[in-house]
Amino acid sequence: MRVQLKATHSAANPGLRRALKIAAAGLLASGTGKAQEVPPDAPSTGVDSGVLYYHENGRVQAIEPELNLSQMFGEDSKLSIGAVGDALTGATPLGAVPSTLPQTYIRPYKVVPLGTPVTVTTASGGSTVVLVPPAAGATTQTLAASTIVPANTYPLDHAFHDDRFAGHIGWEQALTSTLKLNGGLAYSKEHDYRSESANIGLSKDFFAHNTTLDAGLNYESDLSFPIGGTPTPLTVINGDWKGPDASRHEVDAVAGITQVMNRRWLATLSYSYADAHGYQNDPYKIISVVDPISGQPNSQLYESRPESRRKQSVFLDNKIHLSSDVISVSLRGYKDDWGIKSVTADLRYRFQIGQDYYIEPHVRYYDQRAADFFRYYLVAGEAMPQYASADTRLAKFHAATYGMKFGMPLNEGSEFNVRIEYYDQHGNGSPAYAIGQLRQQNLFPDLQAVTVLLGYTYAF
Amino acid sequence: MKLCTRLALSAIGLAALCISGCASFGAKPWQHDLLAERAMQVDPYPLQSSIDDHIYFSKEASSGGRSFAGGGCGCN
Amino acid sequence: MARERKDLSTNFTAMASPCVVLVDSSDSLLGEAVGDLVKSEALRIEMKFSRYRPSVVTHINEHAGDAVLVDEESADLLDYAALCYRLSEGLFDITSGVLRRVWKFDGTGTLPTSARVQQALEFVGWHRVRWNRPVLQLAPGMEIDFGGIGKEYAVDRALALVQKRTPVPVLVNLGGDLRVTGLRHDGAPWRVVIEDVDRLGSSAGLLELSHGAIATSGNTHRFLEKDGIRYGHVLNPKSGWPIDEAPRSITVHADTCTEAGQLAKLALLRGAGAEQFLEFEQVRAWCIR
Repeated sequence: MRVQLKATHSAANPGLRRALKIAAAGLLASGTGKAQEVPPDAPSTGVDSGVLYYHENGRVQAIEPELNLSQMFGEDSKLSIGAVGDALTGATPLGAVPSTLPQTYIRPYKVVPLGTPVTVTTASGGSTVVLVPPAAGATTQTLAASTIVPANTYPLDHAFHDDRFAGHIGWEQALTSTLKLNGGLAYSKEHDYRSESANIGLSKDFFAHNTTLDAGLNYESDLSFPIGGTPTPLTVINGDWKGPDASRHEVDAVAGITQVMNRRWLATLSYSYADAHGYQNDPYKIISVVDPISGQPNSQLYESRPESRRKQSVFLDNKIHLSSDVISVSLRGYKDDWGIKSVTADLRYRFQIGQDYYIEPHVRYYDQRAADFFRYYLVAGEAMPQYASADTRLAKFHAATYGMKFGMPLNEGSEFNVRIEYYDQHGNGSPAYAIGQLRQQNLFPDLQAVTVLLGYTYAF
Repeated sequence: MKLCTRLALSAIGLAALCISGCASFGAKPWQHDLLAERAMQVDPYPLQSSIDDHIYFSKEASSGGRSFAGGGCGCN
Repeated sequence: MARERKDLSTNFTAMASPCVVLVDSSDSLLGEAVGDLVKSEALRIEMKFSRYRPSVVTHINEHAGDAVLVDEESADLLDYAALCYRLSEGLFDITSGVLRRVWKFDGTGTLPTSARVQQALEFVGWHRVRWNRPVLQLAPGMEIDFGGIGKEYAVDRALALVQKRTPVPVLVNLGGDLRVTGLRHDGAPWRVVIEDVDRLGSSAGLLELSHGAIATSGNTHRFLEKDGIRYGHVLNPKSGWPIDEAPRSITVHADTCTEAGQLAKLALLRGAGAEQFLEFEQVRAWCIR
């Protein structure tokens, strides 16, 4: 869902004004003076498209094209549709700790009828196919991929590849000159995950379009059907086919105010609240159980996260127009009941060159506190916690983004832009409490990613 | 006072200030010229922000703020 | 900071108003040529659509009741007037000039009777006109008047001719309705003085114009005052009476003078609802009550 917290001045296009403009243009264009200075009719169809190239060093690569179209119907309504696809390849962290000794991981990936001839080959990503001994009386047999992680290597899942397709449709309707309604549907599908959502929102202008109040509601329903089935949390990993599909539901609400502070400054403040219930685990992530003295991993367990999550965030955004340049500075504070807290600060400076060209450097700083149940590893012999995850996305870390964007017009009303960004995430790879061999390992390899985004927009 | 709490209180304070003073802030209708420019919109490049949201959502634990994810993905 | 060079200016009178052409250049020959170009175009339009001397308009008015063939330019203006009549739902009407005979804004303070106004209304209304380009047929007794469009149209036409001739920054001002080609040479906007409605002739404020045009519609120069009520000279063509609670002056900024002038008039015709109309249509305007 895209909650269009539109600036207060962009109310529905007035029909009279436009008709008058066209009439005046018609009068002046005919006869002697071809008045080129009269601006053309505002187009009613918009295009917003782009292609993203994403590369995470040594790990993930992705290409993601996206296309959005919008169409005005009369002066008060707008239909928008969009689709995005992404093809992801590469390796992603398993969640296990590295060791001075080689380690083996196993994951089921296919079920075949019993008796099917299977050649034990090397499956993708350097793993071996293993036939899992079937249970008594079973008519099917599971094939699992077994991978060996060399010593002193951060364990990655090399067979990772994911293709995603998502689409959305939305409608915006101006009910009066100051009141607007919007609604939409969205759908996203991967080979092991599906998400559907519906949203609705309202926005009202006050004080001659200087103030806008917005409110929106989003409902999302997700289904996870991982390859190999849904594992039981905190059980030892094995090659057996796991459990059935698991679902999750989330309701999000957002309320905001956008205020024209003065001719050059627009500010937005919003608050959002979300409540999620259901399966929140990453079915592929594991957590190591290590020996209390040597720090060597004894076994690996499937991770476990709570079944509910409540999130809140406050967002403040400012757009300031200098003589020709524009500064955007925003701040976001986030907190949820998993114990995660974060602060995001974002700054962009758009250097306007001539009428339509621009260069925009950008920096973003992000700082996150770990989830209560985040653990780099569990220690054998200690009490088993209710929830535990070694997914570094939930760990304590900070990250910085540095980017540059170039924009140029192609022809009337259209823009082509290129954006290059560098993302650098740092966590604590050597916690003070690390035991034995873990002291010499890097438990949080830094993540660096480069993105290149090419965009083309027309009348959007 | 924790940063998060401090941030929250400042945000609430600013909101209260905003709402009470909203009638006095602003610009006359004919002064909305700069505000009409693309770069001054709240979300001038929606495709770019949705891609950013998706990237950060897959790398960080926070989500939301400006808009909704609009169809989550399995990379949670 | 560069020293401000004085603009080359041409002054003349047209459409019963003082007119000025400012040219941001040091080329005096060019300044003269541009000034002459604007002056001749303004006078041409004034003469062609004048109500007082033999012109296209007097010819049409004298032959009310007959089918009259009009030229391309007049046809364009009639098309435009017809469109404005529709867009304003009848508030803007070039046949409303007949009401002038009933309302004498001569300072004697005489109000017409209801009956007289009703009588005059028989000859007012674009819906009574048969307009099939290029043939116009007014009902007998009717009159048309391009006074409400002419000046702004002349500004736009004159500016178009100037732009074909030279890229130099120019400001064309015909009696307060003006337009600029763009920013001045040094990148600065043109500075325009807005007249004070209470003290005609003195300044109420300064407007900085970087592009487009401004047009003013107002009640200030001609009005009737009786029993403390000021009856503006802008009449509602549907009722025959002056617009209730019209602002004294509305100045509008738009890309063309024609558009600005039309918006100013349409706002004025809405009387008490002028500001609301301007806000709703997102017009850059300045209302003085």
